[in-house]
Amino acid sequence: MRIMKELLKQLENLLNEKEIDLAKINLLKTKLLKDHINGLKIDNFIGDYPTFMEPVILGDKVKIGDDVLIGPKVYIGSNSDIKDYSEISNCIVFDNVTIGNNFKLNNCIVVKGSKLNFDNFSDQNCILKGKAESKEELEIILL
Amino acid sequence: MSEKRKQEIQRIKELESINLATDDIRDLVVQTKMEVEKDNENLAQQNNQELKKFNIKSVDIVGAIGAGKTAIIEKIVEILSKKYRILVICGDITTRVDADRIQSHNAETIQINTGRECALNAYHIHQIIENKDLNNYDLLFIENVGNLICPSDFTLGTDKRITIVSTTEGEWVIEKHPMLFKMSQVAVINKIDLAERLGTDIQKMIQDAKEINPEIHVITTSAKTGKNIEKLIEILEL
Repeated sequence: MRIMKELLKQLENLLNEKEIDLAKINLLKTKLLKDHINGLKIDNFIGDYPTFMEPVILGDKVKIGDDVLIGPKVYIGSNSDIKDYSEISNCIVFDNVTIGNNFKLNNCIVVKGSKLNFDNFSDQNCILKGKAESKEELEIILL
Repeated sequence: MSEKRKQEIQRIKELESINLATDDIRDLVVQTKMEVEKDNENLAQQNNQELKKFNIKSVDIVGAIGAGKTAIIEKIVEILSKKYRILVICGDITTRVDADRIQSHNAETIQINTGRECALNAYHIHQIIENKDLNNYDLLFIENVGNLICPSDFTLGTDKRITIVSTTEGEWVIEKHPMLFKMSQVAVINKIDLAERLGTDIQKMIQDAKEINPEIHVITTSAKTGKNIEKLIEILEL
């Protein structure tokens, strides 16, 4: 868990750089999902029994809506909020993120503090960031 | 009415019962239900092909809550882990209790918490096997969510399905839940060690299973004493 946290911090720093190094990010993401996101740590989420497919690691007070499917291989950081009907697999979602209704994300990274305040969106192999009230306002970087 | 409540009602209409749909959406509801069933069937076939490609034998284990599914898998895994590399997928509404029990017998386990869903479906299994290196396994057991109703709606793509009931559920349990026995190759009547004390009519249970599905193998077991577990493994051709 300690190594996972260190690697997440490294990934966060890479994402914050002005010119981001996609190769490094990809490598680190793959390493995290393959070797460090293990088991089921879901003991502190807020919501009514979503579906979890191991491995899933949740930070503190992650809010999860109805009919949400999370996993396999998902990390979601503290205080993030996943709305209803969304499906997230092979993803790293950092702290304080909001994801709207009916998102389907596979193999993505959602940058810390991003607000995806809209509904019905599907994507894979990408970095998502920004404070977006619609799909058009969202910054999408292909991985 | 709140937006959330409306959505919940809509969900019931779409997935649970066509009869609850009002006339204006009835066609849509029927169509959605048919498509969901077809999608599950297609995915189940894909799962089966994928598992076969890697020579993995697979068994879906269904049964009522407390019938002894986990205990039987524990016993089977204890024996078979000496010669096979085993993956067990455990379906439960919540917790990792069953997966932890099975893992202690040298099998790798994956827990799926289905939340409000009362059965695993082919998509769950598809997602798991897509994310696993299947070269690492010879056998896959899937312990479905405990009940004798919902799993009949969703095949998973395993080679075999076994349905487990126990003597504590009473002799009418098979007669009252025919659907899963129609779809299974093996019926297990567990907790045979308690039958005499409970006065359960085992013969009636065996006869009911055979009447519902003449092809089905029926076996009585005790996961507690280990009785007939070897024989069950033989029937499963493992």
